[in-house]
Amino acid sequence: MHSRTWRVAAALLALVVGVWVGLRLHPHAAPPASGVRVPAGEASPPVPSDLDKPWDPDVPPRVSIPEKLPEFSLADRAGKPTPISTWQGKSLIINFWATWCAPCRREIPLLESLSRDWGTRNVQVVGVAVDYRDKVLAYANDLKIPYPILIGEQDALDAATAFGVESPVFPFTVFTDRRGQIVTLFVGELHKPQADLILSIVQNVNEDRIPLATARHNIADGLHALAPNPSS
Amino acid sequence: MNVLIRASFILAATLGVVGLAAAKPWWLRGATSNDTDFLPPDVAFRVGSRVDGNVVRVRWVIADGYYLYRKRFSIAAESPDLTVGEPAFPPGTLKTDPYLGEQEIYTQQVVGTAEFKRSDFGAHPMQIKVTYQGCAEAGLCYPPITKVLFPQNAGGPTGQVLGPHTAGPPPTWLTAALLSGAAAFLLAGLMLRKGRRLPTPN
Repeated sequence: MHSRTWRVAAALLALVVGVWVGLRLHPHAAPPASGVRVPAGEASPPVPSDLDKPWDPDVPPRVSIPEKLPEFSLADRAGKPTPISTWQGKSLIINFWATWCAPCRREIPLLESLSRDWGTRNVQVVGVAVDYRDKVLAYANDLKIPYPILIGEQDALDAATAFGVESPVFPFTVFTDRRGQIVTLFVGELHKPQADLILSIVQNVNEDRIPLATARHNIADGLHALAPNPSS
Repeated sequence: MNVLIRASFILAATLGVVGLAAAKPWWLRGATSNDTDFLPPDVAFRVGSRVDGNVVRVRWVIADGYYLYRKRFSIAAESPDLTVGEPAFPPGTLKTDPYLGEQEIYTQQVVGTAEFKRSDFGAHPMQIKVTYQGCAEAGLCYPPITKVLFPQNAGGPTGQVLGPHTAGPPPTWLTAALLSGAAAFLLAGLMLRKGRRLPTPN
């Protein structure tokens, strides 16, 4: 194509980039931090109104998942501080949940079955309840949840945010390989076909059959294939 | 003119490719929006407040596919010398959940009202603290959200308009952005002209 065309294109690009940079530098461009606190934390700084903010439903929350499992320690059901590194060397399914969250409750029977079916294959399910201790204990004892549960309020929320989700929603489930590398993070209610797909790919990573990057792409493609067709 | 059209096409294609690549990280790109996408809490549930006489009104605008639980709301005094009465909410929709039982929920929007008294005659800016909690039909829930709001007088000079509208950047910043863009445009033009030689007659 004519070189003049490219020059004009470059100039137009410079114009767009310039405007974009200008708008990014604008002090109001960065939205204020979310006021989410769990479960009875401090209030966010005063804000006039969310209704004044631009509505952009196409912008998902910022997510920046770490490569390695972040270190954190929370009290277990007996109250004993338990670091997540307790299960070092195992592939982990870390499920963040709360008793007030209906999809979290719906998910627990699936996690129980995953614990049963995959427990012999070096896979460990760990529940992390971001909730009041007494409520979690009552619910976990009532259901006789067989896998370990770590419990906390702000400290458990800090553990959740350490996985890179700016404003955590529940449930979300982290899958790691046996080396503690995060293979994927699944937000929302997990169902059996999705769990089976992810775990089979995690096992491929554990057995050094595929590299981590391939596993992540395979999971993304597989979840896409499993997702209901919006047109149907 | 043709050059400009072709250049615009290249620009649009470049921005399109960059936009697609930057739109979502890989772990969200793998599934449809109903599966793993979720709105930030302040977009899923937007809240504003105003004062009408001795009543404070708090309005939540709820995104499609999301809902708030009636029994999870609270409106309380935050500023000194302010007393807020028991808040009232309209009847919601009943939602039956096998794991949580029957719950009353709100979709689209809800307005909660509460009477208040001020004993300082307006010496302090009025602040209230609101708490709410909700979920998405797609199968995820947000932790309880607590916010401090400044209710404004309805219809007053600083009255807050309760309705979705976009607040653009102040004109001065927009001007600065456009000027910086224009400057980059001119600079790029000058740099690209550098080294260009006029044809010399043989």
